Amino acid sequence: MTQTDPYFINFPSRIQGIQEKMAAQNIDFYLGSRLRTLSWVSDVFCPWRSFVVIPAQGMPALFSFVIDAARIADETWIDEDHVFGFAPMGGQDQIEQIADYINDLARGKKVRIGIESGMSNYLPEGNITQYEYEKYSAAIANCELVNAHTIIDSLAMIKDEGTINRFKEASRIVDIGHEAVYDALKDGGWKGMTETEIGGLAGYAMRKAGSEFEWSFTGGNEIASGYRTGYTGGACTPATRRELHLGDPLMVDIHSMYKLGLGDHSHNYFIGGATDRQRWHADNFLKIVTQTLATYRAGISPCDLAEKMMDLAEAGGFSDYMVPGFEHGIGMMGDEWRIGLNDGPFPYWTNPEHIYQENEVLICAMQYACPEEEIGFRYENPIVLHQDRCEALSKFRLSVDDID
Amino acid sequence: MTALTYLSGPWRDEVEKRLKADLSPEKMNFISSSMSNIYTNCPDGKNHFLFFQFEAGIFKTVLTGTQEPPKAEFRITGDYQVFAKISRSELGSQKALMTGKLKLKGNMIKALKLASVADRINKVVATIDAQY
Repeated sequence: MTQTDPYFINFPSRIQGIQEKMAAQNIDFYLGSRLRTLSWVSDVFCPWRSFVVIPAQGMPALFSFVIDAARIADETWIDEDHVFGFAPMGGQDQIEQIADYINDLARGKKVRIGIESGMSNYLPEGNITQYEYEKYSAAIANCELVNAHTIIDSLAMIKDEGTINRFKEASRIVDIGHEAVYDALKDGGWKGMTETEIGGLAGYAMRKAGSEFEWSFTGGNEIASGYRTGYTGGACTPATRRELHLGDPLMVDIHSMYKLGLGDHSHNYFIGGATDRQRWHADNFLKIVTQTLATYRAGISPCDLAEKMMDLAEAGGFSDYMVPGFEHGIGMMGDEWRIGLNDGPFPYWTNPEHIYQENEVLICAMQYACPEEEIGFRYENPIVLHQDRCEALSKFRLSVDDID
Repeated sequence: MTALTYLSGPWRDEVEKRLKADLSPEKMNFISSSMSNIYTNCPDGKNHFLFFQFEAGIFKTVLTGTQEPPKAEFRITGDYQVFAKISRSELGSQKALMTGKLKLKGNMIKALKLASVADRINKVVATIDAQY
């Protein structure tokens, strides 16, 4: 990929940025294990347990399960001499292989190693395990392990042009998935259709358009119909075999991936039209989504925004149905959930006082749920924050559509 | 022919002769690489090595010795008795690695390309009547 490619990311420059921060903290090696770190550093999807070792100077080394290491070597920008596969063989398990690699470079010197420890709501986060921590501590000579994930988190927070363009392309693909779902549902096409089938239709259309993965660990494409749209406080709906019925609300929350940039957009329907009461709920939802998108910009905080939006919901008589959160973090594959840095009142949760900056990307995410009426809606859309506005990357229409 | 002492000079000469005769560049997959087998706990109390180097599938160097071996792409370390069992075809080299009896140092992705070649080398070595 050349610098003129719209999706170009300067990975050597990223490594240099990490190494500068390592130097400032007297860290000799950074041992990354989180999926977000692997994506951000290596530009390749690492679905199996993997590690990256970044020395104080020079090329990083990537270690993954041997069954996937050759593919990773083929796809990453890191040269093949710095990609290693580990396996259950003498001298080749991940602890010994990585410890040997660091020991060889350290040449007996005492070393300070940055690791990634913590907790996350996101299951595939990939923090170092206690077992790994203990084994690396014992196997690397003269080492001190220190938690250093903030180095990556701070560098990855503001997105560069190539990353934003990858997100834009992923969103363009998501919109193709939504068009395909709409085309399949309309004119009675919904009859006999199940949630899993809708997820598959969207997946096929997005794959055809170049998506690499329905990346969300929440079951790929999340489809909910009928009462399942209205789970109390719910914002996670893996598709089931439930068949659509006349009068159902329908939530279609689909995910695409383009060069590790992520698409994530949710659209909502009524099957066979809506009652007045259902439409009232839908109008409330559309009103708050519109207002939220008009409010997001650099300089505000999640807390500021939530207060304003909950005031709006209260004034409109629908605050009981709003989940009081309006976003989640996003980055290259594996970076999901927390906004900003780990500097809030509850460790490893979003800091509600975080001040958004220009070119942060987040998922504007809202859930409206009225379980007693078996109705709910979800909005998700990646947004880029600018000084005076936000830019929604999915361009699919904002509406709750009646399907005949 | 009398049995040759394992890892001795005459044994090394025989290994080189048979490898060159029995393993064509095609059978060696035209691979260029090098490997050092490091034998620990040898009967004479020393560590020994067996070093192979091949270019485009042709054997260039076969060395044995007790000093530090030449730098190789792959370094395989194990007990003398483990290597002896492999050389007698009593133990497969891959099984020895998978059970931790041997330790491999080197890039596993590249080592996988060498696995079948290493087996062929071991089979040729096993044809030599040796005294352990």
